[in-house]
Amino acid sequence: MNAIAFTDVSKSYGNVLAVDGLDLAVEAGRTVALLGPNGAGKSTSINMLLGLLRPTHGRIEVLGTSPDEAVARGEVGAMMQSGELIPELTVRELVDFVRRLYPRPLGLDEILQMADLTGLVKRRAGKLSGGQAQRVRFALSIAGAPKLLVLDEPTAAMDVESRLRFWAGMRAYAAGGRTVLFATHYLEEADENSDRVVVVARGRVVADGTAAQIKAGAGGQTVRFTLDGQAAAGLDALPGVTAVEVEEGTATLRTADPDATVAALYRGTSLRVRDLRITGAALEDAFLALTQES
Amino acid sequence: MPGYIKIEALRMLRNKRYVIFVVAFPVAFYLLSVNLYGGGTDAAGASVVLMVSMSAYGALAASMMSTVVPWAQERQSGWLRQLQVTPLTNRTIIVTKLVTSLLLVLPSILLVCAAAVLAQGVWLTPARWAGLILVMWAGAVPFAALGLTVGSLLPPDAAQPVAMIGTFGLAILGGLWYPVDLMPSALKAVAHVMPSFHYTDMGQSIVAGHGVPPSDALTVGAWAVALGVVAVAAHRRATVRG
Ligand SMILES: Nc1ncnc2c1ncn2[C@@H]1O[C@H](COP(=O)(O)OP(=O)(O)O)[C@@H](O)[C@H]1O
Ligand SMILES: [Mg+2]
Repeated sequence: MNAIAFTDVSKSYGNVLAVDGLDLAVEAGRTVALLGPNGAGKSTSINMLLGLLRPTHGRIEVLGTSPDEAVARGEVGAMMQSGELIPELTVRELVDFVRRLYPRPLGLDEILQMADLTGLVKRRAGKLSGGQAQRVRFALSIAGAPKLLVLDEPTAAMDVESRLRFWAGMRAYAAGGRTVLFATHYLEEADENSDRVVVVARGRVVADGTAAQIKAGAGGQTVRFTLDGQAAAGLDALPGVTAVEVEEGTATLRTADPDATVAALYRGTSLRVRDLRITGAALEDAFLALTQES
Repeated sequence: MPGYIKIEALRMLRNKRYVIFVVAFPVAFYLLSVNLYGGGTDAAGASVVLMVSMSAYGALAASMMSTVVPWAQERQSGWLRQLQVTPLTNRTIIVTKLVTSLLLVLPSILLVCAAAVLAQGVWLTPARWAGLILVMWAGAVPFAALGLTVGSLLPPDAAQPVAMIGTFGLAILGGLWYPVDLMPSALKAVAHVMPSFHYTDMGQSIVAGHGVPPSDALTVGAWAVALGVVAVAAHRRATVRG
């Protein structure tokens, strides 16, 4: 069953079309990154998924039901892009309050551990640093042991160290077979913490796949080697290759699948391959290419 | 819901503004004015009359203060949205706010009464004590509903001054600080439709041994229903999902 299904979903604010015919299905148990620049429509999509906003058009299903119903059943937990805590309450009071709102919550200690808060339980929320408050908000999002966890740019305001620990906590949570959808505009975060990256720009999905597929899909990577005087014929027929260039004795193959190309180069041809180099289009390049198109 | 009421009450009891304006101020004001007016512990004496009007003021301030700004603030700060993605329903949220606000009215009433007993030797029959406290407590519903309405309609920086003006306006026009009889007649006419006027009047009647005048109870009840309906509508509007 799909944990999330957007079918042709659009949302406009007055005459701003924030989400434009979004189709997206996420299988249960996956960790998916929603990657896109600011203004791409990530938060709008997430808020619709959580039932906080209504789509102007289209349908959204969460865990086989409507967003409102899934939330009411306690199957969804979320960390919105921004949000403050009640300053007079302690970390423990906040987390314990929210976990008790759910029918089958995680244990308090387990939550505090995953969110790296064990040293801060007695601290009032008003006295937390930005990164600590983010961790508390993460704790609130997992407190009810939701099947679907949704995080909107969760590491904003965190330093490098907190980020690492935050993602470790997220992975620990996801490891229980739960579905996680997180929005980010950091490429590395998407690459390192998800098993699928959905790239959105201008309210539409512009690429969808593993980080490697996205790099490849965006015109990808190059395999370069010294050809010297050997014949270049047949190189363009190698698996994955989309273009071949030969210049000053060096062959440059553009490929969507460098592993297959290189394997075939060695096994399927009699060429003497020297000085082989594979250069990746970084995810960054792929991302820029995808989000700036059209 | 008990857990929600608990944290809502805790946060207010830890809020300095609430403690100063709602808990300390009415007691201090009571002790100060009772000395100015020279005491007197019979039913019409200043110690008793002021006990009622200061409890009323404390209850009014408590119900406004525990609703307007916290509610406006948590809508703006995103705390409400955090709650909206839990199984908590909007209905539970507003009912909890109302119940908590009424709970937070009790400390002011009880402390002013305690000050009257301990410092002024005021004593009423058990039936009058019970009637007074019950009426002062339940009669605060219109103010809590008004507070939730204002908190639903305004952002926090606008809600804050409106709450202050509303509280002081209701206190003055209700005769909580200054007897309505001494007001110019136009103002007196306005005072006579105010919920705060009828609210204190119920308390004054009870301590004087006259029971609850039906006209007072009806007026306060009508305000409670009217403002309650407005509060629910305003709350719906504020929590509607666009
Ligand atoms: N409440 C709103 N009113 C008007 N426009 C909005 C509102 N929220 C978002 N937008 C616009 O919708 C687009 C998508 O915004 P958003 O979903 O916040 O993107 P992201 O989260 O990817 O940065 C942007 O152009 C933004 O300016
Ligand atoms: Mg956003």
